[in-house]
Amino acid sequence: MLRLTGAPSEKNLLDQVMRRSGQNLLECLQCGKCSGGCPIASEKVSGPRRLIAEILSNMRDEALTNPTWWYCVSCGTCMTRCPVEINMYRVATALCEISEEFGVAPSEPDIHRFEDLFLKSVEKYGRVKEVRTVAVYNMVTKNPLKDVDKALILMRKGAMSPLDILRGWTKDPKVSRIFSLARRRTEE
Amino acid sequence: MRVSYYPGCSLEGTAKPYDLSVRQVCRGLEVDLEEPDGWSCCGSSPALKMNRLLSTALSAHNLALMERQGLSDVMAPCPFCFRRLKSAQEEIAEDPLLRSRVETIIEAQTNGALTIHNVLGFLTQKVGLEAIREKVTRPLAGLKVVPYYGCYAVKPPSVTQFDDPENPTSLDEILRAAGAEVLDWDFKVECCGAGLSLSKTEKVVELSGRLIREAKWRGADAIAVVCQLCQANLDMRQQEIGSMDHKDYRVPIVYVTQLLGLAFGNSPRDLGLNHHLVDPLAMLKEKGFL
Repeated sequence: MLRLTGAPSEKNLLDQVMRRSGQNLLECLQCGKCSGGCPIASEKVSGPRRLIAEILSNMRDEALTNPTWWYCVSCGTCMTRCPVEINMYRVATALCEISEEFGVAPSEPDIHRFEDLFLKSVEKYGRVKEVRTVAVYNMVTKNPLKDVDKALILMRKGAMSPLDILRGWTKDPKVSRIFSLARRRTEE
Repeated sequence: MRVSYYPGCSLEGTAKPYDLSVRQVCRGLEVDLEEPDGWSCCGSSPALKMNRLLSTALSAHNLALMERQGLSDVMAPCPFCFRRLKSAQEEIAEDPLLRSRVETIIEAQTNGALTIHNVLGFLTQKVGLEAIREKVTRPLAGLKVVPYYGCYAVKPPSVTQFDDPENPTSLDEILRAAGAEVLDWDFKVECCGAGLSLSKTEKVVELSGRLIREAKWRGADAIAVVCQLCQANLDMRQQEIGSMDHKDYRVPIVYVTQLLGLAFGNSPRDLGLNHHLVDPLAMLKEKGFL
């Protein structure tokens, strides 16, 4: 059984998460309304209640590898129903930032890969080039034909063009600069 | 009326029908949409997940561009952009330290005075249902629709400050103003799986499947949506959902602005109704709207 001794070091993770997220997790009642309404909670994905319990109990490895915060789509349902209004997607961001800083490998590499490719597109072009990002994602995850049938129907209907993959290589240096300055400030 | 228009990346990419129909409807309502030069992505869910400062800075960059247009109101049809812009403006106003960090990064200042709307708020609060009713020339009488709000337009309420987060009604009211029959259902604000579309397709099939089955069971001719991510998931994954259930559901997923445009007398092509995977045209023809 896990027993906390009250040593200050046991609060390290909690302190970091609370400071970065601006959310007072000590108010959490563990009532479970969050996980009850969470669309991504399942047998394999614990949902917010357990994730908060792990942070409060200083279960650092469990919290940083809990797939909940990777799966979180920031739908806001948990916060809507939370009696103390904890914003979980802010907690997810804090855990993501801490994991990256400490080199913790993403527990959900596919979700991470997609989000990473998305941001790379924004960093370069200022806007996400959706069709190209999807194509690249399907290539790197070794599933190049995924949804190609649907893409072909949409192309035949004129909803999109194969040229969408090629079009729009205009760079946005202003946005690239925002990325590099934001990275520098985050590291400080 | 002149308003700043922030389309967001999807509306110039995979969600052109949303952009087309928003523009048609606004033209009909004598609203001038002014797109700020050089707008960029708001960072969407990936930036929100991975780097808080970057996410807020990207939204602030766009807010600063829009403030320079000198218009008081912004309309962002994508509910994620809407929520992110609105949230960033609030976060910066509340936290002077965050403001100074963000302004250093974007190398510009923000005054935080914009009123930011999603499509539903813009139509019900800024334009008004009465003005909408006046423009309806071909009411959608007999068209049964279920209103699907998704998450980001209404949740969490402390951020969106819009409509009721569990049982919103603004979309119902707009559809009724267009003459449609709005069906009651339990999934107005249930998640479709959002950005997990590619990386966790099975989760999206599970979540969107609940919506499609319920809409079908209620006897809906179409699901009316306000979010391009909801549209894409419900439209794109219907085949998988159908093959799982050994059924051919074929429920058209249409934007509220496409239905409103039809009621205003716009042609289906001008509204991009020919660009969806599950074809709404056959159903609309059968119902006598084309």
